[in-house]
Amino acid sequence: MSGAVGREAVFPTRQSLGLMKNKLKGAEIGHSLLKRKSEALTKRFRDITRRIDEAKQKMGRVMQIAAFSLAEVSYAVGGDIGYQIQESAKQARFRVRTKQENISGVLLPTFESYTQEGVNDFGLTGLGKGGQQIQRCRETYARAVETLVELASLQTAFLILDEVIKVVNRRVNAIEHVIIPRTENTIKCLYRLLRVSLAQANHSEDINSELDELDREEFYRLKKVSGKKKRDVAAADAEILAARQKAEEEQAANPNAPAATATATAPAILAEEETTDVLGEQEDNDVIF
Amino acid sequence: MEGLFFNVNGGYVEGIVRGYRNSLLSSQNYSNLTQCETIDDVKLQLAPSYGDFLASLSPNPSTSDLASRMTDKLVAEFKYLIAQATGSSAKFLEYMTYGYMIDNIALLITGTLHERDTRELLERCHPLGWFETLPVLCVATNIEELYNSVLIETPLAAYFKGSLSHQDLDELNIEIVRNTLYKNYLEDFYNFINTHPDFSGTPTQDVMAEILQFEADRRSINITLNSFGTELSKLERRKLYPEFGKLYPEGSLMLSRAEDVEGVALAVSAVADYKAFFDAVGLSQGGGGLGGMGGGPADGKSLEDLFYQKEMDLSKLVFTRQFTPAVVYAWMKLKEQEIRNVTWISECIAQNQKERIGNFISVF
Repeated sequence: MSGAVGREAVFPTRQSLGLMKNKLKGAEIGHSLLKRKSEALTKRFRDITRRIDEAKQKMGRVMQIAAFSLAEVSYAVGGDIGYQIQESAKQARFRVRTKQENISGVLLPTFESYTQEGVNDFGLTGLGKGGQQIQRCRETYARAVETLVELASLQTAFLILDEVIKVVNRRVNAIEHVIIPRTENTIKCLYRLLRVSLAQANHSEDINSELDELDREEFYRLKKVSGKKKRDVAAADAEILAARQKAEEEQAANPNAPAATATATAPAILAEEETTDVLGEQEDNDVIF
Repeated sequence: MEGLFFNVNGGYVEGIVRGYRNSLLSSQNYSNLTQCETIDDVKLQLAPSYGDFLASLSPNPSTSDLASRMTDKLVAEFKYLIAQATGSSAKFLEYMTYGYMIDNIALLITGTLHERDTRELLERCHPLGWFETLPVLCVATNIEELYNSVLIETPLAAYFKGSLSHQDLDELNIEIVRNTLYKNYLEDFYNFINTHPDFSGTPTQDVMAEILQFEADRRSINITLNSFGTELSKLERRKLYPEFGKLYPEGSLMLSRAEDVEGVALAVSAVADYKAFFDAVGLSQGGGGLGGMGGGPADGKSLEDLFYQKEMDLSKLVFTRQFTPAVVYAWMKLKEQEIRNVTWISECIAQNQKERIGNFISVF
């Protein structure tokens, strides 16, 4: 496993070890959250699949009845009334409005059908004969379209959920099989490397305390360096000051001139330990590979 | 006496029609049709009567294709008849086509009102309602022009005159226009067969008067039933009733006042036939209501079905008469019913709804 996953390129310091540990913890929390989301979505997905199945069967029946009622109309009227109805329909009686439903952060559009009462554009069609059949046929078709709308909203939800579930599962798998092993691997590697370098120094077994000591040594070393730098700067300042005083004395016999007081302000130590920027390349672009 | 010279002019046409009548499907044919599994089987069963007209259909045709081919045959036969007819018989046959013309004109008016390209609509027109000046209707781009310069030229001009202005065409629902025209047409036809010297006192007058009266009553009843729940006012409704028939005038008046199905049942109760229909479908009891139409009641017959049945019976009786062009009218109605029947049967087969396949009207 470790061979396949590899490890991240970090310098073997204790600090990066700490970072890695944090990262591992974060990855585990994220993993469990995403897993739960995926489960919630999958549950919903199954529910929708079942309802699609029902709706499709219902649609089959309803469409059959509707088509048959159209046959009844053509029998009763004895001709084609399609054109006349198309022309006389001006306003939609059957309308659809959309809403959004939120399922664990995924927005699903749902369609809802309603009939606009009072719109009856072809109420007089078939006045001479077949009027009842036409009205009944219209009602049957309204029911058929209702089923279609229901099916459409389910199908849309189905497609969107399918996509989202895929993405979430990909993330879950990426975290489970790549990020976590790689981070673990890195941590192991760091331990091993650090242990090796320590073993060379003194053969201690207690790694953490050794690491701490190593850190303290490093800190002390840095402090020492900065102390030395400070001293050097102070010496240089004093030299410049002395030279200036000497020049002034030579110019004027006025020895009491107030020297630019020890402006030798201690230059800031701050050779800030540069933190290793190894994490830069880990910006989370992992989810899709 | 009236038959003495009929055959000089009308004998050939009558003979042809009686021949046509024999090719109408019998109940034996229908029972064969209902056994069919596919539309192809239906096509095969229809081959003896429809032959070449169905030959060019693709395998497993749609029911509408089938129906349109059958209509083609009807049209071809009728055109032959009208070409052979002379004198008053020819006039009579022309009257028969006016009903289809009204439908065609209503179609074109609808197209003009919505500013569609009316040329496309010509294909949708019923071929029997075709007249020479029909394509001219497409020239008109607005309704006023249509009314003033084009409709005047059509055979239907007389039906527009006096009852519809061009504003009416614009404002009224096209269905009201259509039914007004139809009312005028029925009245005119009725007047024609009663007053024309060639027809008055002949069997033609007897049978046609009965058929047209029935047609008028049926329209009145249907209009009344279908207008419930729409914005059609009672006054407008009354204007659409043809002013003759068994229901006229008392029944018509009561119909115009009817507010529900019971009211209609009450209005028609004076005529035994119609009362029987309403009783059969259970509308006069108050239990049926509009929802009972066509679907539920008793033997699965709706009021429309009963009306069609009655129409077919009347048409069948016409063939017992001789020396009359009314047989053409009867044959046409029978043929149309046959096309509807076959369409219904093939629709049931295509949609696998065999349980209601018997819901057609077989005459012979």
